Amino acid sequence: MATKPAIEARQLRKTYTTTRGVFRRERVERAALRGVDLKIAPGELFGLLGPNGAGKTTMVKIFTTLLLPTSGSALVLGLDAVKEQWALRKRIGFVFGGERGLYWRLSGLDNLRYFADLYRIPPAVSRRRIPELLERLDLLGRERDRVELYSRGMKQRLHLARGLLNDPDVLFLDEPTIGLDPVGARELRVIVRELADAGKTVFLTTHYMFEADAICDRIAVIRDGAIVAEGTPSSIKTLVQDQGIVEFEVVGMPVERLAGLRGLPGVTSVAISEHELAQVVTVHCARPAEVMTQLGVILDGIRLEKVSSREPTLEDAYVQLIGDSR
Amino acid sequence: MRLRVISPWAYLNWLVFPVLFAAVGLYVLSTPGAASSHVVYGVLGGGLIGYWSVAYLDGGNGIQDERWNGTLEQIFATPTPLWVILLGKICGGLLFGLLAFLPTAAFAYFGFHAVLPALDAGRFVISLGVLTLSFFCIALTLTPLFALWRWAFSMLNGFELGVYVLSGFMFPVAVLAPWAQGVAGALSPTWAVRALYASTLADGPHDFGAWWFAAIGLSIAYLTGAYFLYALVERRARMSGQLAMV
Repeated sequence: MATKPAIEARQLRKTYTTTRGVFRRERVERAALRGVDLKIAPGELFGLLGPNGAGKTTMVKIFTTLLLPTSGSALVLGLDAVKEQWALRKRIGFVFGGERGLYWRLSGLDNLRYFADLYRIPPAVSRRRIPELLERLDLLGRERDRVELYSRGMKQRLHLARGLLNDPDVLFLDEPTIGLDPVGARELRVIVRELADAGKTVFLTTHYMFEADAICDRIAVIRDGAIVAEGTPSSIKTLVQDQGIVEFEVVGMPVERLAGLRGLPGVTSVAISEHELAQVVTVHCARPAEVMTQLGVILDGIRLEKVSSREPTLEDAYVQLIGDSR
Repeated sequence: MRLRVISPWAYLNWLVFPVLFAAVGLYVLSTPGAASSHVVYGVLGGGLIGYWSVAYLDGGNGIQDERWNGTLEQIFATPTPLWVILLGKICGGLLFGLLAFLPTAAFAYFGFHAVLPALDAGRFVISLGVLTLSFFCIALTLTPLFALWRWAFSMLNGFELGVYVLSGFMFPVAVLAPWAQGVAGALSPTWAVRALYASTLADGPHDFGAWWFAAIGLSIAYLTGAYFLYALVERRARMSGQLAMV
């Protein structure tokens, strides 16, 4: 990376300390980040993937100056997120997922005006920028309605408008599409991609693989507070390139039968998910054809609905990387 | 301010509760033969309680509302320091709180024909200004604690009632136990309220200069403490990450 990174973490660590017990209070420490190193180039749309509790939000909060790291450094646009928070806050925007974080009893317009004041945006600029954002995020015409009357998608777009009020160079999005319907999520992804195409650096956390695959230039997978893989979505997929996926649907299969599958040569992981009437079993393996021929023996007496073999996806790579950390 | 105007709860603090306090105070204090100095406590007491409630509670409740809305983190991470944001909220609360004197004064006049017997308008206005300053300084000093420690919110009402009693909003501080009078002396509203009541009464030795000076001096002392408190809150909040709801 020849240019100066827009976002950089060096040996970033965060340990939360809390207490438990009523009479005999006991200090409990939990490591959320364990020495993370990361560099993100200007204009890049970077995705951070990981299961709940892996450290994604902690990292975003450190970069957005909301949280102090226990050790290590976090730099955004060359500014230290620990010591230069006032200068940094003017140049970044952030959006946290979910419906909260807005004044529901105020209108969308009043929300934006208030935050424009807090971001110290000159009135002449905010008078021009707020209508632009409302139009771009398809909120024009509803801006005087109370936020409590907005749909979840509208609230999330209002969040994004708030995050863009100060025209930030770097935008942090923490699971921005969580809870949105497919159409709303797709619209938001298009907007986020457009922002990156317009030159903004975007740091996106998500656990939707297809989302990261579809819009991110580069991704990293975080597990238990440590980065376990980093690269383009296609390079991450190559981690499981030598593998195939066999998926089959069964009805009423006892869990003990999975042991037989796991024991087959070349099988690296077996996952089972319950659907309404059936169970879908996903087998990661080196030789899919061999596994498929053995299925008849292992599933003897069990109704087999569908069997298919396919190329690994980013989700498969993710599942392999995350393993049994959940 | 807009949030306060549209909130039905705010009307309880500046309109309903002050009138209730004033009604009880006037009923008790305006019995036949009662001294006019006692009636004054009924006339002004309800308004003072309403004023204090709005000024102080709105700060603490405001922080708790921000936490529930999920906006506390959002405002904390803006380029505007927390004390400036709270200053705006508290100033709005003070403006709104002053309204509490209107219903209580009207209620006292029309309901009990109670008036302020010897009002010295100049000193009254100055005393009210000093009282406003002392409310402002206390609210600005205490409010960040609610941002940092969720348990502090549970002590909100206790402190609110304590100041009613200790600062002599509805009866003279002289009736309190000596130790309580000592505590009251450390509260800036005590001196401002004393001056405020004195400005409505002709009798008794009045030392307005000393009372105003005590209230202003204590207020400045609170502000000095607040300067360090805000730095602490900023750092502790970023260390613990406790601004979020969960």
